[in-house]
Amino acid sequence: MAAVAEQPRRLRRRGPHARREARIGLLFVLPAFVLFVLFRFGPSIAGVLLGFTDYSLMDSPKFTGLDNFTRLWDDPVFWSSLKVTVLYTVITVPGTIIAALGLALLTRRAFRGSKLFRSIFFLPVVTSLVLASTVFIWIFSTDGPWSTVMSLVGGHTGSWLADDVFVVPALAIVGIWSRFGYGMLILLASLQNVPRELEEAALTDGAGPWQRFRHIIAPSLKPALFFLAVIETTASFQVFDAVYVMTGGGPANASYTLVFQLYDAGFKYFDLGYASAIGLALFVLTLIVAIIQRLVIGKEK
Amino acid sequence: MRRNIRPRTVRAIALPALATALTVGLAACGGSSGPGSGGKTITTWMYPVIADEAKNKEYWAGLTDAFAKANPGYKVKVETYPWANRDTALATAIAANKGPDVVYLVPDQLPKYQRSLVPADEYMPAADKADYRKAALDSVSVDGKPMATPLLMSANPLICDKRVFAAIGESTYPSTWDDLLNLAPRLKDKGYQATSYSGDTQQTLNLTWYPMLWQAGGEVFAADGKSVAFNSEAGVKALSYLRTLVDKGYTDKDQVTTTPKLEQTPVAKGKVACTWQNTPADVEKFWGKENAVVMPPLKDVKSAGYGTVGSFAMLKGANKDAAGKWISFVAKPENSLALVKSNGYFPARTSAADPYPGNALQAEVAKTLDVMSAGPLKEKSRDVMGVLAPEIQAALIGNKSPKDALNDAAKAANALLAR
Repeated sequence: MAAVAEQPRRLRRRGPHARREARIGLLFVLPAFVLFVLFRFGPSIAGVLLGFTDYSLMDSPKFTGLDNFTRLWDDPVFWSSLKVTVLYTVITVPGTIIAALGLALLTRRAFRGSKLFRSIFFLPVVTSLVLASTVFIWIFSTDGPWSTVMSLVGGHTGSWLADDVFVVPALAIVGIWSRFGYGMLILLASLQNVPRELEEAALTDGAGPWQRFRHIIAPSLKPALFFLAVIETTASFQVFDAVYVMTGGGPANASYTLVFQLYDAGFKYFDLGYASAIGLALFVLTLIVAIIQRLVIGKEK
Repeated sequence: MRRNIRPRTVRAIALPALATALTVGLAACGGSSGPGSGGKTITTWMYPVIADEAKNKEYWAGLTDAFAKANPGYKVKVETYPWANRDTALATAIAANKGPDVVYLVPDQLPKYQRSLVPADEYMPAADKADYRKAALDSVSVDGKPMATPLLMSANPLICDKRVFAAIGESTYPSTWDDLLNLAPRLKDKGYQATSYSGDTQQTLNLTWYPMLWQAGGEVFAADGKSVAFNSEAGVKALSYLRTLVDKGYTDKDQVTTTPKLEQTPVAKGKVACTWQNTPADVEKFWGKENAVVMPPLKDVKSAGYGTVGSFAMLKGANKDAAGKWISFVAKPENSLALVKSNGYFPARTSAADPYPGNALQAEVAKTLDVMSAGPLKEKSRDVMGVLAPEIQAALIGNKSPKDALNDAAKAANALLAR
């Protein structure tokens, strides 16, 4: 409370010179700010407004009130794509974070070839997902390696991509593969902040690997984990490329995601008002999840 | 003190202010003039029909020069855009009033842009109109009115792989659904599939399931266009037939949901007897020209197949006289020949010379041009496909009966049409 009260006093004490400097500083920020407003903020607001209109690009938008949202509420395809998106996220986010954490812990100490491993693990992040998806189509095909291994271990036979239950897990595997390298990098950076003396002291005191991780490493990774959880959730909610290339939303809409529905509504059917309503729903959903994550993981910061 | 600071302050303020002004200025004045300019420069948006960049450039440079010579004072600017996301780019440009004067469109696109197009009747010379194949003009007509000028036609007849038939000791190729189904078990015994069906929902049904619907005697839309008719008995028959092919392993199950690259498909690997989802130009590099046999599209109650048309359409706001002349100029058989030959297409006009003299395969394909359809041209054709394609998949993977799947799709489609 005291810190908050102190703030205005300090500002008041600033002389005319400092104020002018601040104004000049603001002016330097202005070009970037104008670009941001023009190309980011403006379109976002326009997108929200379009959600309340009927707009096909060929005519001017017609205000239709909440029509798009009532249509969305009654649209079974929306609920099914919401379910698919949430299921994908529920598998991908923990999967990506666990994979990232595991590999970051394995490669954190310098050993012979550690840099090579880090680079290899980061490779999927810089690989074109569209190209990789083409390869994954083959991997998951009926005669592909994945299906062969699965049938050998007594799992599901046939292509996962052609099965309405296994298609989302298959896409999630591709999602995790393409994202874990980024998370690993963030966590590696964060691991550098873990005081080595503490770990060594714990080791001397006889703490096992799990205890060291639980009481020393994990607490200092919390901010990075929160950041990753938010970033990965946002990315997962927006999944599109891999689905578009690998399944086209099929079979029978079993992998049809919210962004796919948005894309179809906007750019296949030119129903821009409805597409914007879907976009707004997606935004609200992402926001709610981010707030929950903040309350659960990141409440100290 | 103040006096000393001021020039510096002015400079400090002036620099970012100038940068901001430039940013805003640049953002505001991007893009070209677009239609509505009504001038004598005709902007044309083209796509890589001629895939080789240098050849494409050379072809259009030749045509624009010849046109400028024949029509002094007119200038044509041809811009070639990638195929990917072309609707997004075009629709956005039209909305911003920065669209071209002339654009290359296929029939599937016409209904969506109908309100922005100048009907072709308004600039197409009567003699030219009489010269078009009926199938070509029908394919670009929305509500009976031609909306664009056809430049080329394609056909997807039934193509069979001679090697596969030789392997099972068969010399008669299928003409009907029953023929194909009777051959299928023998083919399967030898490790071949009867046909190939792409059920990927991103694939146009015009190429995949609609031909089967037409062959069974069905239609996508009711005659008045206000409701759908694909859930008729013919529709159920067509989907049940297809499901039998999938269930019994007479067609590749994976392709019901995914579209691999052509070279990874059983068709390219020589494992499929007949296909209507590829053209001879697609398969001959894998099969060898001598092994591709062209048959008329399959028949249940009638023979029908998919064929499309590449056309030039004029956007409202263009200089009608200038753009009309340019379109008619490109549509002359001798001028569109290079476009036609680029991918094994066919001329849309009857007076055109045979582009493939001595090529028996292409001569067979040409015979089927008149039974081909580009699919229904309704404003909501694509939207209807959007609800129908997943239901077809649901039937093919066994989640629903063909009848239930089509009825569910019809319910959703009719709701779309009613809106």
